[in-house]
Amino acid sequence: MRFTALAATILAIIPLIALIYFVTTRAIPWLDAALFVNNPLDNPSGISNAIFGSLQLTTAAILAVTPIGVLAAIYLNEYASPRVVSWSELVIDVMLGVPSIVVGMFAFMVIVPQLGVSAGSGVVAIGILMLPIVVRTTQEVLRLVPASVREASLALGVPVWKTVIFIVCRTAFSGILTAVILAYSRGLGETAPLLLTVRGTFAQNWLDFGTTMNAMPLTIYSYSGAADSRTIGQAWAAALLLMVMALILNIIVRARTVNSRVA
Amino acid sequence: MASNKATLKSAAKATGSHTSTGGSGVKQGRLASAYALELNNVEAFYGNFRAVAGVSLRIAPKSVTAFIGPSGCGKSTLLRVLNRMHETLPGTSVKGEALLDGVDLYGPNVDPVRARRLVGMVFQKPNPFPTMSIFENVISGLRLAGVRSKSELEGVAETSLRKAALWDEVKDKLSEPGTSLSGGQQQRLCIARTIAVKPEIVLMDEPCSALDPVATLKVEELIRELAVDYTIVIVTHNMQQASRVSTTTAFFAMNEQRAGYLVEMDATSKIFTNPKEQLTSDYVAGRFG
Repeated sequence: MRFTALAATILAIIPLIALIYFVTTRAIPWLDAALFVNNPLDNPSGISNAIFGSLQLTTAAILAVTPIGVLAAIYLNEYASPRVVSWSELVIDVMLGVPSIVVGMFAFMVIVPQLGVSAGSGVVAIGILMLPIVVRTTQEVLRLVPASVREASLALGVPVWKTVIFIVCRTAFSGILTAVILAYSRGLGETAPLLLTVRGTFAQNWLDFGTTMNAMPLTIYSYSGAADSRTIGQAWAAALLLMVMALILNIIVRARTVNSRVA
Repeated sequence: MASNKATLKSAAKATGSHTSTGGSGVKQGRLASAYALELNNVEAFYGNFRAVAGVSLRIAPKSVTAFIGPSGCGKSTLLRVLNRMHETLPGTSVKGEALLDGVDLYGPNVDPVRARRLVGMVFQKPNPFPTMSIFENVISGLRLAGVRSKSELEGVAETSLRKAALWDEVKDKLSEPGTSLSGGQQQRLCIARTIAVKPEIVLMDEPCSALDPVATLKVEELIRELAVDYTIVIVTHNMQQASRVSTTTAFFAMNEQRAGYLVEMDATSKIFTNPKEQLTSDYVAGRFG
């Protein structure tokens, strides 16, 4: 039994090791300065527009989603009746489970006709995917703030709204930040919604959300089937960059969860 | 303190919400001023369950009043009625009147926030704010009430910590987290935090039950010192503690409907040596509870 289980464990780890090995070895030869500063049509070519496009899309989405998500979590945890909470949690859990291609199709049918094929439509699509993560994680963190902390504040003659913002949220701040980083990490790697809403471009786009933009998942998608080795190599490089970014964000989340005094 | 009091009074009076006492208003006013707190037929509910039944009592200013009685007799609930914390739990309600300096805390135009400013509370378990330093904990009530002046906050922090007999132990580490202190120190920090907003009354809900004997003695000593400036009401399970710290003792018990009621209230020495009621003497002699 023991050895069968060990064998299964090894079998489970093999794909991960193989993935890291392949991505890293194939990407490393193409990691040069041009990759980070040049665009696809420059000579030598690079994927700067995809790197910064991804960061712009995800950052815009997180900026839009964080206030909404955190306030929704505050409402559910501090004010809503148990009935409202259980129904909302059901809806949020369903949203968490919606496949990203479905969100992409929704954005394509509903948002793209309004905003066009543009970074803006992509931000909406990624935002829809991030929102339930922010709400749910923030809610969990707020739940960890002990009732005694709220009571202490109320008993000092602090109004409920100030207690919520300056005491409860302050106590949970570290955890809320973790929720945001987690959502950011998820949004960074999303491909399906971007394929249907942003589509990608060869040009660099700085902060113009009315037109199209490039993103790393789009680069990987369109470059991996290319004929020349440089283009394929850049797809591997983009894959490595995405992996490393996600890894760094996850390490930050881990470190924060271990150190935080509340969560 | 005086201005706070005036605001609660004037707010209630200006809108005519003062509990109407008809023609005897003047007499009532003079009478009421002799007491820091006066309860008239106070009842507290959790949903339909009546946890406190018809309690009427009077508490003299700058005194220490102990609420004693067996578990479930409603003494903690009654304590939470006195600063309108009872209503923060869902489904709860209060009947009757609780006069603070003659003004009903439950008058229709009294803001519960202001009531809690005037009637502070120390809880069973020390509950400093976990992400705040010792200094920030002490001044949290003032800062959230909008006090910005750094010198004022520092002054209040020192005075409050001195009054809470904690200053000498923490003066060199005010920026360390409040939770880094020992349990007894944390409880004294919570007392400092409570008195920093200058309440008139300080409620204590079994403040020593989570502390070791040495820390307990320190807090008890502190309670007696605080009675010089504040009216203190303390709930305790520990009868020795009640006899050590209080001047007046109120004994509560449970009736057939499991509602807590006041059996009797008298000078502490009297309650413990020569109470009027048989039930009280049985309880203080340890025959039940």
